[in-house]
Amino acid sequence: MIILDAIIQGILMGLLFALVALGLTIIFGVMDIVNFAHGEFLMIGMFTAYWTSLLLHVDPLIALPTSAIVGTLLGVASYYWLVKYLLRGPMIAQLFGTFGLMLFLRYLAQFLFGTDYRIVQKGLLVGKSLSLGPFILDWTKLSAAILSLFAFTLVYYLLHRTKLGRALRATALNKEAASYMGIKTDRMNALAWAIGGGTVGIAGGLLVNFWYVYPTVGLLFVMIAFASVALGGFGSIKGAFFAGVIIGMIEMLFPVLGHLIGSDFLGPHFKFTLVYFAYFIIVVLRPQGLFGWKH
Amino acid sequence: METLRDAFDFSDFSKAERIGLGLFTIFLLVFPWLGAGSFVKAVMIQFLLFSLFGMGWNTIGGYGGQVELGKAQYVGIGAYTVALMMVWWKIPFWVSMPVGVLIAIGYSFMIGYPLFRLKGHYFAIATICTSLVLQDIFINWKLVGAAKGIELPIHDHPDFLFMQFKSDVYYFYFIMALFYAGLFYMNWFRKSKLGYQLRMIKEDEDAAESLGIDARWCKIKAYSIASAFVAVGGGFMAVYNLYIDPYSVMDLDLSIKIALMAMLGGAGSMWGPIIGAAFLIPLDRFLGSWLGGQKGLIGVDFMIYAAMIMVVSAYQPRGIWGIIEQFRRKGA
Amino acid sequence: MFLQVVDLVKDFGGVVANNHISFDIDQGEIIGLIGPNGAGKTTLFNCIVGYHKPDSGKVIFKGKEITGFKPFMTNREGIGRTFQITKVTAGMTVLENVMVGAFCRTDQRPIAKKEALEVLGFLRLENVKDYHLNELPIASQKKVGLARALATKPELLMLDEVASGLNPKETEEMVDVLKRIHQEKKITLFLIEHVMEVVMPISQRVIVLDSGEKIAAGLPEEIVKNERVIKAYLGEKYAKGFRD
Repeated sequence: MIILDAIIQGILMGLLFALVALGLTIIFGVMDIVNFAHGEFLMIGMFTAYWTSLLLHVDPLIALPTSAIVGTLLGVASYYWLVKYLLRGPMIAQLFGTFGLMLFLRYLAQFLFGTDYRIVQKGLLVGKSLSLGPFILDWTKLSAAILSLFAFTLVYYLLHRTKLGRALRATALNKEAASYMGIKTDRMNALAWAIGGGTVGIAGGLLVNFWYVYPTVGLLFVMIAFASVALGGFGSIKGAFFAGVIIGMIEMLFPVLGHLIGSDFLGPHFKFTLVYFAYFIIVVLRPQGLFGWKH
Repeated sequence: METLRDAFDFSDFSKAERIGLGLFTIFLLVFPWLGAGSFVKAVMIQFLLFSLFGMGWNTIGGYGGQVELGKAQYVGIGAYTVALMMVWWKIPFWVSMPVGVLIAIGYSFMIGYPLFRLKGHYFAIATICTSLVLQDIFINWKLVGAAKGIELPIHDHPDFLFMQFKSDVYYFYFIMALFYAGLFYMNWFRKSKLGYQLRMIKEDEDAAESLGIDARWCKIKAYSIASAFVAVGGGFMAVYNLYIDPYSVMDLDLSIKIALMAMLGGAGSMWGPIIGAAFLIPLDRFLGSWLGGQKGLIGVDFMIYAAMIMVVSAYQPRGIWGIIEQFRRKGA
Repeated sequence: MFLQVVDLVKDFGGVVANNHISFDIDQGEIIGLIGPNGAGKTTLFNCIVGYHKPDSGKVIFKGKEITGFKPFMTNREGIGRTFQITKVTAGMTVLENVMVGAFCRTDQRPIAKKEALEVLGFLRLENVKDYHLNELPIASQKKVGLARALATKPELLMLDEVASGLNPKETEEMVDVLKRIHQEKKITLFLIEHVMEVVMPISQRVIVLDSGEKIAAGLPEEIVKNERVIKAYLGEKYAKGFRD
């Protein structure tokens, strides 16, 4: 029973991980860039929802659109002001460039908001839970999972059913061919960053309902997103979804298993170590991931 | 013999470079007698230490062109070996430091073997992961002090065996000696077979393989050389700071700083890491002490630092030395 | 038998790039490998040298099976190769490039340097030895690729379109260089050429690939009269005209 509970909790968390990984995988798919600042985008999404709800006295869930908008703008601004120039350089410069962005946003947040851990105290769903037989689900997590799923589906639909989405996927498949077809790759890159920033902004808005927000919260999530993206295959949207859920389950399940067999090494302190370790094993054994098509 | 001559032979550098190196050496030798304050002396020691780290990273990251972002784990291995052997068994620094280096080399082969099956982004992120895993283990490992870290016992009298001195001057000269050992090693390395082969791998890995180069094995070798370098620096950090914890010697930021400095100065060149460290370390320290201390300005120093990283990455990924080289070739 | 390829198959997820290819090369020969674009010539090279692992079949060099060897291993066995495109980089000078090749057989830098200079002299590249690849015209870049491979002292040299992108005069020069490599260094040559006019004068024998199949092999004068070969080439030209 405790295992089943862990699996359900893991799936709920995993859906949110999937939404975080979505933006990372789209950006990678379209332009072969790993966005280290992705976790900081998440953090900014969290802070946006936090301050909107606090200052306007509304529920954090209602503040969600502001998180999405801020995230989108942040993505677009990052692309036009930084990433566009990084593309000319070697890979190491691209990595450092987005790493610089990560540090900048992190310490900007620290400068503006300090290093305190903050959490939403009041809200429609905060502190309430749903009992389903023996399982107790926090409404905040449940709604976050449902809305993540919704956002994920929406983006999936956008990419697969609309003209714009097809153009984006064509760019990801073959930049040159796409530009011959009259697709402006520059715009597509910006679009990828807009979607990436927007989705992770939403994820931040959802996360702040039940997770402390502080300037360095991003690193943990970006590493989880890296692991998800690697597991799913860099650039694969479907992969990001399933991998996010799987990583969510691993993260919840292993401490429980560890507790059952009485081992400290599977304990809660190590649950993220497991994620890093999982990444390492995944990329070494199956570098293309579950659904990979690039490299 | 040949090897020794290569290490001390700087004749293929330009006159300006040789004169620069000479003046720099003289400056370092007399520096402790210039009456600088303890803060400036500490900055100088940091500069030499990070130059050493950067030179190590330069083997695999600069000459080999591999985006390696996990050097902090080897700083940690070097530092913890020295600290633990001293606390547990009272083993002097001169024994524990080489042991730490050996452990780092062994560990680097173990990690490097699977690691270098990877390329590009996969490799870069995997190096971060390996370092974070080790840091996480040390944070939770009670036997080695967990998150609280380890304090080294302070001796009453200066003790050469344990590298404990009252005055910073001794530490300065010691790290300076290590710095020059590293410099001579690098001067040999860049002219060695492995150095040439690594540069070819960076240029064009497929072509390198066609020339009989086992690219993966070369990278593993360079990776362990780099690890040995930073483990030496880690050992020094333990005796110099007299306190280590997983955050100060194994953090991701440290890994990034090491790689960044080499890149800012000019990756894959002899002077790059030194120039990078000479630029970033004082900046980092002075910004930190000037802005970090003022109320309400927490984090501004890092923002300036981060903004510089972005600007350099976007406009001059070949680093400061790259700009100088470019001008020189145009002038010639 | 010097190089022996037996029943080699390479399949890229349903696209058969090399379909049961067999042939032999004797020591001291110059063999041309021709065929239209996409015939599987470079794939065949990559399978022999080790960039691809063949799905089935054998590669035997000097009586030793080298199937599935990594590229650096086949090089150490004595097979050198050049690439269709020499990656144009700015990190190393011409001399350093060739020294890397020479380091394959020695650990001593002075020896490597001496040998590299010898090869550069042989190819008449001494005057550009301190330039970087990106500062050179394409003909010299190709020669550097050749020099690099020569410096590893191969017994068999496999050349992938060594004359592509060259003007008629440069092509003539290159053909001359190849002849000298063959005569003075006693190296067996195996060359891919897309353009028949280049390969015919120097090849002693020619192998023709089309759509992954070996469709003909024989003396150059036989090959130019071969019906299937003509069709394969004409077919391609016709298709080209149609596209344009």
